[in-house]
Amino acid sequence: MDCQEFRENHLSYVDDTLPGVELVRMQMHLTECPECARHDATIRRSLMLFRNLPRIEPSSDFSQKLERRLREAKLADSVAMRVSRTRRLGAAVTVSSAVMLAYIGFSLRQVDTPQDIVLPPVVALAQSADVQMVSSPAPEMIAAVPVGLPLWTAALFAEQTSAHFASIELTSAR
Amino acid sequence: MAITSRKQAAQIQPQGATVREQLRAMDDSGVVSAFLGGEERAFSELVDRYQTRLLNFIYRTIGDREKAEDLVQEVFVRVYRHLHRFDRSKKFSTWAYTIASNLAKNELRNRSRNPLVLFQAVQKNWQDDDRPLQFEDSTSRPDDMYRKRYLREIVEESVAKLPEHHRNVFILRELEGKSYEEIAEITDCNLGTVKSRLNRARNSFAEIVAPYME
Repeated sequence: MDCQEFRENHLSYVDDTLPGVELVRMQMHLTECPECARHDATIRRSLMLFRNLPRIEPSSDFSQKLERRLREAKLADSVAMRVSRTRRLGAAVTVSSAVMLAYIGFSLRQVDTPQDIVLPPVVALAQSADVQMVSSPAPEMIAAVPVGLPLWTAALFAEQTSAHFASIELTSAR
Repeated sequence: MAITSRKQAAQIQPQGATVREQLRAMDDSGVVSAFLGGEERAFSELVDRYQTRLLNFIYRTIGDREKAEDLVQEVFVRVYRHLHRFDRSKKFSTWAYTIASNLAKNELRNRSRNPLVLFQAVQKNWQDDDRPLQFEDSTSRPDDMYRKRYLREIVEESVAKLPEHHRNVFILRELEGKSYEEIAEITDCNLGTVKSRLNRARNSFAEIVAPYME
């Protein structure tokens, strides 16, 4: 065994985790190499110093302080739980409201745009091509103005002019 | 799992006065189960078992006693809050040390970002009042006491000089007696890294301390 191998295995040697054969080889090297023997002694002595450092003890008020901190932690946890529960409830309300609104909106859309609208039949009358347009106002209108009748009645009469002319045409045809 | 915990808690309940003793006789896993089953006193048992060990581990890592106590309390608060999430197929002590190690690491990181805190911590480290005095034996001669005290200071300073990731592994192994596997789990490193760091830490520490040992 050379010094490099000894140093590489030294951790396990100090911790006593080497297999028997390796352990014997390490011990053999120690007897042959004063440098490695010194290294081994230095490591072991320094470790002993460190392991013998005094242990410190918790201060007298350690338990009281810990109890206080645990109480605070419990309180903070319960507050956080309440907040999260409220948030969860809020989220549930929001989601259900959104679903309800969506449903209402969808229903209204269905009412506004019915798929099958049945319209009543429309009877259209074709305008006859030979009807002469009257350029002058209807005689009822002319008659109405001097008598002092209000104009809206005249307008009513005017609406009936086409029917009036139709009846005149009918009479003249006879 | 919860049913088992409740059963264990129920087994504890009737004896009343001897609950503490029963808890003391249990291993960590039993105490954890009892706590999860509703036995609040089980938590005190965990605190009793680990407060000194965790305090020394953190104190040796960060070198500030007051802050170390504060961090140990934080470890227990976290344990209390998250114990229900703890994977009980693993060792409780490894979990507790992992929390402690992470908190100590964060503390050192914060200090390196804040030179004022670093200075205060170093200053505090030099105050004798903050240091444990048990190292001295009152029956020893004064010069012997002085030599021991001086040596202790040298050792503490030498540990503080180690790089943080070496120091962490070194303390877990040499002070807390953790196995390589446990250290690997606590520090989230592989086994090879743990061994290599430990070997380097031992060599560096011995190099620093050696002149004072002769």
